[in-house]
Amino acid sequence: MSETTIERDRTAQRPNGIGADAPRKEDDRLLRGDGRFTDDVDPARALHMAVGRCPFPHARILAVDVSAASELEGVRQILVGADVARRSEPISVLRPVPGAPPLPFYALAQDVAVFEGQPIVSVVATSRAIAEDAVELIEIDYDPLPHVSDTIGALEPDAPVLHPGVLSSNLLATNPQGAGEPEERMAQADVVVEDRFHINRVTGLPMETRAIVAQWRPGARELTVHHSTQVPHLVRKQLAESLRMVEGEIRVIAGDVGGGFGLKLGVYPEDVLACLHAIDLRQPVKWVEDRLEHFRATTHARESVHDFRIGATADGRILAMTNTYTTDLGGLNSPFGSAQLSTIVFTGPYKVEDGYVERRVAITNKTPIGAYRGYGQPEVNFARERLIDRLARRVGKDPLELRRQNMLRPEDLPFRNPGGGLYDSGDYLATLELVVDAVDYDGLRRAGRGPRPDGRLVGVGLTSFVERTGYASAKFLANRGSQFGAHESVTLRANRSGGIDLYTGTPTFGQSSETAFAQVCASVIGIDFHAIRVHAGDTGATPLNTGAFASRTMIAAAGALKQASERLRDKALRIAAWRLERDGVEGLAIDGDVVRDPDDPGRSIALAEVFTAAIIGQGIPIGEEPGLEATAHFEPEEAAYAFGSAAAVVAVDPETGDFAIERFVMSHDCGVAVNPLLVEGQVQGALAQGFGAALSEDLTYDPDTGQLVNGTMLDYFVPTAADIPEVELHHTAVPSPVTTFGVRGVGEIGTIPPGAAIANAVCDALAGEGVELTALPVTPERVWRALQQARNRSETS
Amino acid sequence: MSDTVEITVTVNGTVHREQVSVREHAADFLRHTLGLTGTHVGCEQGVCGMCTVLLDGQAVKACLLLAPQLDGHEVETVESLAPGEELDPLQQAFKDAHALQCGFCTPGFLMTATALGREGRALSRDEIRDELAGVLCRCTGYEHIVTAVERYLAETPARERADV
Ligand code: FES
Ligand code: FES
Repeated sequence: MSETTIERDRTAQRPNGIGADAPRKEDDRLLRGDGRFTDDVDPARALHMAVGRCPFPHARILAVDVSAASELEGVRQILVGADVARRSEPISVLRPVPGAPPLPFYALAQDVAVFEGQPIVSVVATSRAIAEDAVELIEIDYDPLPHVSDTIGALEPDAPVLHPGVLSSNLLATNPQGAGEPEERMAQADVVVEDRFHINRVTGLPMETRAIVAQWRPGARELTVHHSTQVPHLVRKQLAESLRMVEGEIRVIAGDVGGGFGLKLGVYPEDVLACLHAIDLRQPVKWVEDRLEHFRATTHARESVHDFRIGATADGRILAMTNTYTTDLGGLNSPFGSAQLSTIVFTGPYKVEDGYVERRVAITNKTPIGAYRGYGQPEVNFARERLIDRLARRVGKDPLELRRQNMLRPEDLPFRNPGGGLYDSGDYLATLELVVDAVDYDGLRRAGRGPRPDGRLVGVGLTSFVERTGYASAKFLANRGSQFGAHESVTLRANRSGGIDLYTGTPTFGQSSETAFAQVCASVIGIDFHAIRVHAGDTGATPLNTGAFASRTMIAAAGALKQASERLRDKALRIAAWRLERDGVEGLAIDGDVVRDPDDPGRSIALAEVFTAAIIGQGIPIGEEPGLEATAHFEPEEAAYAFGSAAAVVAVDPETGDFAIERFVMSHDCGVAVNPLLVEGQVQGALAQGFGAALSEDLTYDPDTGQLVNGTMLDYFVPTAADIPEVELHHTAVPSPVTTFGVRGVGEIGTIPPGAAIANAVCDALAGEGVELTALPVTPERVWRALQQARNRSETS
Repeated sequence: MSDTVEITVTVNGTVHREQVSVREHAADFLRHTLGLTGTHVGCEQGVCGMCTVLLDGQAVKACLLLAPQLDGHEVETVESLAPGEELDPLQQAFKDAHALQCGFCTPGFLMTATALGREGRALSRDEIRDELAGVLCRCTGYEHIVTAVERYLAETPARERADV
């Protein structure tokens, strides 16, 4: 049984307000099969698009012959690279790598394709089946070119240069960052541990693939796009740029979205293609990505190589950390590109003042990398936490002691780390002590590593981490060239039924924002939670915002919700006071569906009456404007840092390398929880993705052919219900001083600990053999190989 | 291209006579011909379980069946669970346990668990995990889904489930 210590906030002022386990607003429609996902939108006379993709990792396109395909009955239009270059602009980057030149790419490859799966042609026909048949009939003459699939190999001097018009090597950019005097400290260190850590290429694999339905009304000049996206307002901006339109002509509607995880941030080539076809054909065009396309054409994530180094005194005090890491960009710069957050949290929760970190971005002939839950934080955590354990062994201390010795204390915060992050507040050690107690660390240590009667060796692995959630100000983002801000917005509008319509550009993709937003409004206004109706994700109806990613939604939205709620509430109370013939609003409060008079509890006025008076402008105070709505935008002053610790207990078979995770305990601090049950759900879900990436998920490219070898649902192993270890969750709740209500982001933290905790546990079990794992995922085969290596080493030495 | 056949199929109690393409799978037929979009598609390879429906009471993956194979059979989809205002007890258990996030996988789990409930077997938590392993979820981490199904099976007597 999953055990949880999340306490329900007894102080929640209202039923279903902040701190309550409110029932989800999203649930009823989804449970009844009445959600509205993009493929559920079936306009009359819709046509269907299929895309022809490059089968090679790197190839010159010599000729494209569409003659047979265009004659197929039912085919309406075929676009090739030259059409797209004439009709549209390259797809823009939303979060550029600082210092990187743009690598512009069109929706269809021009002369050269740089990854397997890159779109080459698109066909629209009366059915998807016919469109796919037509793609098969298109003759494309390719000249395969030498390819690079290895991240580090791409930077070797003899590697073929993939974007020779822009760059003279495959190094897109180098971004250094640091503080203090790390090299001097390293020179003074009694002990230096270092290694190279390989992080696997994985993908978020939302259960709903990408999808789009584009409709064009030429007379009205109105392009309506139903889209499976986390960021409808950013998609609108990017589509306007690529299609050479103005934003006012485009309306993007994200209905229900079947999972995003960072993969549905921004425009992909197929989106531009579907719109071009719809505009030309003046008929709706639908494209739903199939799963084979998804594995090749939707962004991958995480692949990187970290050269991490820690210097310490003989008794284990850390003096400096450095990390030079290379992220794999894939063949093109997707809107978010490769992970950028390994830098800012590379020193983790430890007191390190001298440090240096350098990100290098390498271009390879693989599917473009994009954002994925955690965006660099699980990756660097694996490298650092593996080395912390190794340092402990080197100085003869228990890994727990070494962590305690070096961890930042509450009085050290706020703390600017060498990666540039400003830790706002927290008690990091408390989360470590929580898991250590829960897992009975001392008892495990006393019991020893084994072997047990079943021949297995027992190990326990720890990890502690911080997670940046949200963005520091737009100014921080502007310095990095980002094409979006740090704020969120909301519009609240009273209606004549006595309810409130809440409009947000943040769509619904599982993060429960409809529910959490309504909880905040219910708390601030005092209105019944059920009287709030959330309208999400339609750019035609919602205020401009940023979008849902980087665990930033609540961090920024809480402020906007609070401000808009206060404004709407205060005006409603002024009108109520006037109608109740009171002098001022003093003491008046909204309570469910009425405004109550404090002096006469029996006397109240229905909200519907107050709202109606405001809307029609009849019976409101002189000088009060008619109407009752409020829009607020809010930008937090700083990012908030969530934090936590985890412990894994494993039992390893030292002959085969097989291992079982017998316990997994995690503690986390996400500040004030708007809805504890939803917080738990977010952490559990992210943990499952973390377990997948730690244990089984690994997108593998054949080094000779450069092709993806496991790009199907059957060959890429995401965890099932039977694969996830039972998890025990604990939490602390230190309010963040930099956010409204003290919230910290919660969506991603669970992805961070599994890799490090499990690898540390396996290495702890096999400490007698000297096994040190340096790569993910941790599979029985990898453990077995590490055992063989360690044994060979000890034989030869 | 004009390869179609006529089928007669009972879906959620309604008899449909439809002309279907021989190359269309059953999930697409339910979604785009009958408009029952609660049945989802995630892989068309029989792996993800998004398309799970009941065929003559058995949980099957509709993407692995061709529409013509439905001829003469009875299909139940997620839309059949709560015909009125109230959610059915299984749906309510999912809601109470926060067993869904994006909800894309939910119909697959609901139909799998509905079939499980009708079998009337008592199942341990681990057995429930194994039974649900044919449907993937990328959002919830499964814990809450297992809890919802466990509560549903425990709270609803087998007899009552059998007459649904
Ligand atoms: S769509 Fe049928 S199992 Fe995946
Ligand atoms: S709730 Fe999103 S896939 Fe299960």
